Amino acid sequence: MGRSSLMTIAGLALLLAGGQARAHAMLDHADPKVGNKVSKAPHEVTLWFSQKLEPAFSKVTVTNAAGERVDTGKTRVSGSQMSVSLRAGGSGTYHVEWHVLSVDTHTTDGNFTFQVGQ
Amino acid sequence: MDWFGAEIAAPMVAARAVHLAASAITAGVLIFDATVLAPAPSPVPQAPSIGSQLRRVVWFALAVSVASGLAWFVLQAAAMSGLALSEAIAPDMLQTVLVETQFGQVMLVRLLCVIVLAFCLGLDRIAALQRLALAAALGFVGAIAWTGHAGATAGGEGVVHVAADVLHLWAAAAWTGGLLALVLLLVALGRDPEASSARIVAVRRFSALGLASVGTLLVTGAIHSWILVGSLRLMFVTAYGRLLMVKLALFALMLALATINRLWLAPRLETGATARAAAMLTGTAAIELLLAIAVFAIVGALGTQHPAAHFLNT
Repeated sequence: MGRSSLMTIAGLALLLAGGQARAHAMLDHADPKVGNKVSKAPHEVTLWFSQKLEPAFSKVTVTNAAGERVDTGKTRVSGSQMSVSLRAGGSGTYHVEWHVLSVDTHTTDGNFTFQVGQ
Repeated sequence: MDWFGAEIAAPMVAARAVHLAASAITAGVLIFDATVLAPAPSPVPQAPSIGSQLRRVVWFALAVSVASGLAWFVLQAAAMSGLALSEAIAPDMLQTVLVETQFGQVMLVRLLCVIVLAFCLGLDRIAALQRLALAAALGFVGAIAWTGHAGATAGGEGVVHVAADVLHLWAAAAWTGGLLALVLLLVALGRDPEASSARIVAVRRFSALGLASVGTLLVTGAIHSWILVGSLRLMFVTAYGRLLMVKLALFALMLALATINRLWLAPRLETGATARAAAMLTGTAAIELLLAIAVFAIVGALGTQHPAAHFLNT
């Protein structure tokens, strides 16, 4: 198996060379942008992930500065994108909590805030 | 529980490991049957006696993979929903997982493969059904690729990743199931001097199958690691990387044994000390098989870990 030991070396060389990598559903970006300030309360929040999501087990909730739920409770999932409509919730800091299941069966979750107001 | 610094959910890892090993053996014995025992013009002489024994092995492995597959499915449903196991086994939750998630849909397709395979095994006097049985077994094993990390890799890289994983699964099945079938064949042929030619033909063909499997495993494993580990440093600092290194160490031991078999023991089957070489070959192949089972235990854990590459971007 002299040939296969050569292949081992080739395989390890490939590992050493490294490569760009993506795995699991991580938050890629969001609208409103993570940590940003918007002048008016948005009608919806949309999150884009690094992977396709399972609609049955992915959801997002949004609370306003007073800690009240302002999302309608109906998370819409399409591919790697997830959004939810918002009711009017005034100005201040909004908290977004997300929990997603990617199609490779792994769950990830996280949260971020954005500011509403002048 | 903790393996090499990796957090292990024991029931899930056990269910996955048993399922992967049993599925691989199911397909691998059929691959051995098609490529070593009975390639069309010249089946291995005296092999028919082992045919029924291998058929029982396939049935048993299939039964174990169905049972462990059900356990995996239920545990996965609980993990996906975040519910306790007792709550997750509610019919509508299981139905949601089965119908609405990619994991469930792939398991459904694999269940269809099991039904086709069982049907063909039951009626295997018909040659065309033997080929269909092999195809169903390959589908049953290959589809596992879509339940894992590869099934979620995006874009063109995702196609390469899934293709590599399907080939990887087939090659792992061919090697593991082939080793089991080879050991059983060598034991069945025993010390009978008249079985010498059967031994030589079987070992020579298995060597070719093994070499093809090892080459495929190395190339596809490298592709998989490239995508999911990404750098040598992450091999050391992540649980996924460390488990992968344990797997590679076991694989290297298997390769060393395979090299001894191929370069040293197999040629001796054809020269002088045939019986002794055959006995040693049976022993080393059995140890190789045990190492392969240990690899499946590691793989059972790997799929439950966050791939190392995940930590690159966070």
